[in-house]
This record gives sequence, structure tokens and C-alpha cells, in this order.
Amino acid sequence: MASEIAFQATGIEKSFPGVKALKGVSLTLKTHSIHALLGENGAGKSTLIKIITGVHHPDAGRLILEGQEVHFASPREAIAHRVGVVHQERNLIPRFSVAENIHLEQLGASLLKPVDYANLNKQAARWLEALGLDIDPRTPVSRLSVAKMQLVEIAKALSLRSRVLLLDEPTASLTPSETDLLFSFLRKLRDSGASLLFVSHKLEEAQELCDSVTVLRDGSNACESRPMEGLGRQDIVRLMIGRAEGDGGWRKRDTPPGVPPAIELKNVETSLGHANVNLHVRKGEIVGLYGLVGAGRTELAKCILGQFPLTAGTVEIDGKPAKIRSVGEALHIHRVGYVSEDRKGEGLVLMHSVLGNAGITVWRPLSALLGFLTDRLVRHKVTPYIEKLEVKTPSLAQTVANLSGGNQQKISVAKWLAAGVKILLVDEPSVGIDIKTKAYLHDLLRELADNGTAILLITSDMPEMILLADRILVMNDYRLQGQLINDGSYAGMSEGIMNLIHRSEAA
Amino acid sequence: MSYPDLPAKGPSGDIVGKPRRNTAATRFYLTNEFGLIALIVLFALAFQFATDGFFSPFNLFSLGRIAAVNIMIGLAMMVVVITGGLNLAVGAIGVCAAMTCGYLIEVVGLPWPIAILSAVALGAMLGFINGWTSVRTGLHSFIITLATMSIFFGVMIFLTRAESYRALPPVFAAFGRMKLLGIFSPLLLVSLMAALFLGYLYNLTAVGREMLAAGAKPEAAEMSGINVGRIFIYCHMLSGALAACAALMLVARNGAAIPSMAGQLGQDWLLIAFLGPVLGGTLLTGGKASVLGTCLGAFLVTMLTSGLLLLQLGDFWIQSFLGLLLLAAVLMDKTRRTFLARRNMA
Ligand SMILES: Nc1ncnc2c1ncn2[C@@H]1O[C@H](COP(=O)(O)OP(=O)(O)OP(=O)(O)O)[C@@H](O)[C@H]1O
Ligand SMILES: [Mg+2]
Repeated sequence: MASEIAFQATGIEKSFPGVKALKGVSLTLKTHSIHALLGENGAGKSTLIKIITGVHHPDAGRLILEGQEVHFASPREAIAHRVGVVHQERNLIPRFSVAENIHLEQLGASLLKPVDYANLNKQAARWLEALGLDIDPRTPVSRLSVAKMQLVEIAKALSLRSRVLLLDEPTASLTPSETDLLFSFLRKLRDSGASLLFVSHKLEEAQELCDSVTVLRDGSNACESRPMEGLGRQDIVRLMIGRAEGDGGWRKRDTPPGVPPAIELKNVETSLGHANVNLHVRKGEIVGLYGLVGAGRTELAKCILGQFPLTAGTVEIDGKPAKIRSVGEALHIHRVGYVSEDRKGEGLVLMHSVLGNAGITVWRPLSALLGFLTDRLVRHKVTPYIEKLEVKTPSLAQTVANLSGGNQQKISVAKWLAAGVKILLVDEPSVGIDIKTKAYLHDLLRELADNGTAILLITSDMPEMILLADRILVMNDYRLQGQLINDGSYAGMSEGIMNLIHRSEAA
Repeated sequence: MSYPDLPAKGPSGDIVGKPRRNTAATRFYLTNEFGLIALIVLFALAFQFATDGFFSPFNLFSLGRIAAVNIMIGLAMMVVVITGGLNLAVGAIGVCAAMTCGYLIEVVGLPWPIAILSAVALGAMLGFINGWTSVRTGLHSFIITLATMSIFFGVMIFLTRAESYRALPPVFAAFGRMKLLGIFSPLLLVSLMAALFLGYLYNLTAVGREMLAAGAKPEAAEMSGINVGRIFIYCHMLSGALAACAALMLVARNGAAIPSMAGQLGQDWLLIAFLGPVLGGTLLTGGKASVLGTCLGAFLVTMLTSGLLLLQLGDFWIQSFLGLLLLAAVLMDKTRRTFLARRNMA
């Protein structure tokens, strides 16, 4: 297959107030190829993608599509030139159905002709099936989990049959099985001649899928469109962060058997369909909860927090039955915290500042007589975490919506690290966080546990799970399938986990 | 910003020196507050030329008295607008509170300070009814307060038989007539205190911050441990209390508590109630408050009304003009925000 240049960007520059996001970046995409775009949080990957697709306009530089210079005034024009994109942030309309969302760009074709819903749903079902997504196209998007929304978003981009397809962290909240399905589909697209750009912080994925790579560092090219062949993981890391990776590996942590559970679920059944859930997390322990997309892990966390009712069983905190009706009660009475997997929907107040978001969990405990509370006090409390996680922002007063995706995620996690809770439910904490900060985040979580916090870790990132958890519980279809004691070996543990999942599916 | 560490650390957090200062300045000129101050100065000069005695002590005094009440009404609306809701019953609640005050003094014979406190408490209670109902039913406060506006007003008319309380103690009228430095009404001080209190609330207390966070994004606020329902109820109670204050100030101005002092169903207050916050840059979708802006906005509207009256324009024209102003303010705000977004400044 002959591969020719499909798209070229040269000397792209872009400034935002207080930040020079891109300082002359170049990139070449070929047909029949999947190109990796890598870089730390805030390196400028999403900004580049937004410039290519007409969301932002470059301050300088040229965009050349199939030999012709183009200036996209709006995302619509990019779509008209068959340049498709899956943005890092979800952009679905919650109340619309899956099918309507997938065909959003094509709906308004003729003003008065009624929408042919039967056809719409049939078309949508085809795309969903290709991605292995088992949902009714008529379901409103608001009922889907974050991972499923991500797949719908991908289906939406695929349905446009783009020649150039840009994917900004499409796998961030997917488990390996969904990722595999997606990859085999992307390879088919590649073989049919499309040219794809793929952003991810999971280097293994990028190395497995992509044939060429561009690395950005601080808004400049650390390398430009070179073949992936011959590059090892350490080489890429060095390009990304300017030095080799520190090894924050697995560490055996022992919780003495005498330590009582900080939180214990006994025979819990919920209105969402969980049955017979028995689990406990002891003080100072990190317990992992693994499962495929749709296994009911996030839902279990939300039931513990009183967002949905328990229909049977009890939740005990420090050995005493606890009736939690809201996150407020969980936080202020029982000292339970929850890092949400959905930073855009329920993790952050995007229109407020970095400080206003990071401090939200400590306002109440910090406030003095008559609720008196100064910024200084809040700043004092949250800055250590913001610094430790290397949040890249021009100031604490910056609007969170203006931060890069990974940096937003850091704020969403930092506010719960700062809360100083005794029990922390952590749901997909490192979605979109670069490898360097991920290691810092893992250190922080271990440190919390070492100081006595009980941590229940929900993550779809198998290496992360095996790196952090002391024990791993496996959930499938809203039921616990079993438990594995983590020995830190990736091969053994991942096989054990998949066995537990598949055993239940065979049964 | 005492946050020197981070930008320097991430090498790409380069602070772009000069453009930044420029945009900061551009930003200030684009704020509502600056625009309002400019407009106030502009119109003051225009009226000075066009009318007789716009700057006369008498006119300034009466302008201040009216502005004080209008500012209070604007603030009463603002505290609910930040939740993404609104309170159509501000006028009705205000009149109910004022009539209660009159009743307690004239019929029950309570001392006036206690009557005033009770009236404000009643305002807060009626606000509680608004807030509780809208939180519990999950309906938008538009519908709830549209209904309670009629209910509150209707009950008030029934109980008072539409009679006024005119035999109030002379302190009321004296306070309304009092002049500081020959031109200022002490009513302005009352509004100033309310504004300072709200500034304190939103900037320096936990509850105030929770109100803004809950208004900006209720789901995220709830998942961060804020009891959003309770916070929204507080906002409505605050709105009721401020509406009651506005009505009591009006009683001081009129020297009597009159059922029709805010028009039929209290609707005469609505236009000014929205104009203040909207001109001032409070987002109708919630999450952002501008106390100073609301005060300036209400002041500007009062000045325009008064100037146009001096120009002998009919009341009817003035109402149409204010309506146009509200529309223009909303459109201008939208344009301004698109502009900022284009330049990536917001
Ligand atoms: N609208 C905006 N306003 C101001 N600054 C912005 C805006 N968008 C991006 N930035 C800044 O530009 C820089 C690059 O951001 P970008 O989103 O491109 O990073 P990224 O490489 O996609 O990072 P991540 O891996 O975290 O997604 C960041 O420092 C970010 O704060
Ligand atoms: Mg990004």
C-alpha cells in the first residue's frame, strides 16, 4: 500500500492569556497510517488538535490538507472536508438518544423533512456493534457510564467516514478489552486508507497501535513525525519529559491482620442490581475493585454514598452501621470521600477557578466563627497537593475550564486528597494524567494509605491496579466474583483477573 | 497572586509578559463595572446639560432615596439568580412584609424595632416556602414563584382588606426624610450595608462559596459534599429577607405601608429587579455574582428614570425604555462573551 502525505501542519503557534501553548509545532500525517501524538499534560496536544479541526485559530503557521492550504473557520468546515475528531472532553447532549447524538452533525439536512428514526437507529446500531457496544440506540446518553459515552463519541466520529481522523485520548476510560476492539477497528480503517492521529498517555498502547510518532514538549516538537520503529519505551519517555522514567514500582504493603475494617459492606443489594456484595477495606489498606465497563463498580460507589438506595444489607463504618444519604453526610459525618470518574459532569465546577475547585471539600472544616474563611487559608491547605501533582496553570485564579484535560483531572483528585478523609473511594483517578504525574499520584495514594486511610480503588487501568492494590476484588455484572491477593506480577495477576471475569461469564 | 512557584516550575508555564498586561487592561475595560461607571458619568453629564437642576441638592437627594430601594430590590433578585433560578415574588414578599410591619405596630402595638425584625423574618419565611417547594418538587423556581407571587399577594389583600397602615411612628417618615451632608439619604447606607454583607458572604464565608458552586454546577457541588438543596433554600430565604428590607425602606420613604406600593401582585418591582443584576453582569445561568455591578446597574437605571422624568417623558415611555434597556443589556453581555471567547480571554 502506497502511503502519501494526507495532512500537514507547519510552524503552528498559539497563545492563550498567560500561556504560550504552541511555539511553532509541525506534524505530518500519511495515508494508511496511525500516528501517535504524545506529550505531558499541558504539552499542547489538544490545542494542536483543536487548531487542526477549526475550534481554535492559529496565531501563525499553515495547515495543508492533501496539498491544498486550508483555513477552517469552524468545526463544521473541518467536517465538510472530512476531517473528523474525537475530543478529549465529552461533547454529547445528555438528553438526546445515542442514535441522535451519533448523527447530530447530519440531522439538520433538511428543515421540514421529518427525521427517519427507524433508519437512524439502524445506522447507529451498526456503528455501536462494530465497537462491541451492547446498548439500545434509543437510550438517552445521560444514562450511560463515562466509558460508554466515550465509545458513543467514537462511533459519532466514525459515522462521518473521515479521511483524517484525530482521536484525543479515546481510550482514557476504557478497559483493555474495549480498547482491543477499538484498535482492531482502527486498524481496519487504516488499511482502507485513512490517516489517523492517536493521543494517549498509555505508552504501551501507542507503541502497539501506531507506526509513526510526534512528541510535544512544552509546546514544541521534541520529535516530528518519525517512525515508531526503533523507539523503545524509555526513548519515548526521554523525549516527553527530557529524562528517563523514575521507577515507582510495586511495593509490598502489609496491613497487620488485627487491624479492623474501616468500611465493610455486608450482603449489600442495591436498587441498581447489585446482589450479595460483601467486602471490607481495613485502615491503611488499598483494595482494588476491577471489572469491565458496565460491571457496576462506579454504581456501587454511588450506592455507598447514598446516591441510590440499598435494598438489603448494611454498610458499616468503623464497625457501626451507617446510613449515608448524601456525599455531604459521607464527607462531614463519616469522613468518606469519593473521587468521581466524571470530572466534567460531577468532578469540577468548570467555570470557577483552580482554587475554588481544589478547596471545595475543605471550606466547611476550615471555616471559623460565622463561616468566616479567607482564600489564604484555603490556599495554604490545597497548594501542597497542587504542587505535588505539578498542576500546570498560570495562577490559582485561572478558570479550570482553561486547563488541559490532564491538569483538570489533577484538580479533581487533589481536592479529595486535601479533604483528609478516613475512607477514600477513588474512581479512575489517573484518566488523562501523564506518566510522570501518575507516579506522583501513586506515591500520594500510598502515602495516604500508610497514614491509615482506607482506599477503595476503582480503575480500568490494569497496570495501575496491579501497581497499587494490596488485594484485588473482581466484579462482573453487579456481583463480586472473587478476590486475588496482589503479588505484583503483571502477567500472573492479569490472567487471574481475566479468569475470574470469564468464569462468571461462562457460568 | 501569591503563587510564585508553579508557573516558573513547569518550563512551559511561561508567563507571556507583555501581551498579558495588555489583555488584563482590555479585560478591565470590558467588565460590566467599568462600562456601568462610564455610562453613569455619561448620562449624568447629558442630563446636566439637557435638564434644569439635575444636580440640584433636592434632585440628588430624591435620586439617592429611590436608588437605595432599587439597589435593595436588585440584590434581592441577584441572590437567587446565582442559583440559576429567579424569584418573581420579590414584590409580593416585600409588600407582605411591609403590611405585617404596619399591622404589628398599629394593631398589635409592638415597638417598631421588633416589628421590623418580624417583617424581615416573615420575608425570609416566605422565601423559605419558595425555596423548599422548588427544591422538593424539582420544578424551576420560575413556576414556583409565579404561583407564590399570586398566593402571597392574594392572602395579603384578603387579610388587610386592601387597607393601608398610615399611623406609623414618626421615626419611619423621619428616617425617610433625613439628609446627610444635605444631599444623601441614610437609606443609601442601609443598601450599602446589605451590599457589604453580600460581598462578605460570597468572598469570605464557606456558605457564600457553596452558594456560588451550587449555582454554577449543582451536580459537581453535590458530589463534592455540598447540600445543594439546603443551599438553594438559603438563597431564597436571603432573597425574601432582602425583599422585605426593600419594602420597609419604601415604607420609610412613603411614611405608610400601602398594599399597592409595588403595583398589582408586586409586579412593578420586576423590571428593576432584573435590570440591576443583568446590567451588573450576574449570569442568569447561575454561578457568578457581581454585587458591585448590581448596585451600579440599579443606580444607572434609577438615574435614567429620574432624568427622563425631568425631561418630561411620560411614564409609559420610560417603562418601554427600561424594557429595551434590559434587552440591550442581555444582548450586549452575549456579544461581550462571544468576543472574549474568540480572543480566548474568558
Ligand atoms: N482556552 C484556553 N485558555 C487558556 N489556556 C489554555 C486554553 N486551552 C489550553 N490552554 C493551555 O494551553 C496549554 C496546552 O493545553 P492542551 O490542552 O493542549 O494540553 P494537552 O497536551 O492536551 O494536555 P493533556 O494531556 O493534559 O490533555 C496548557 O498549559 C493549558 O493550560
Ligand atoms: Mg489534552
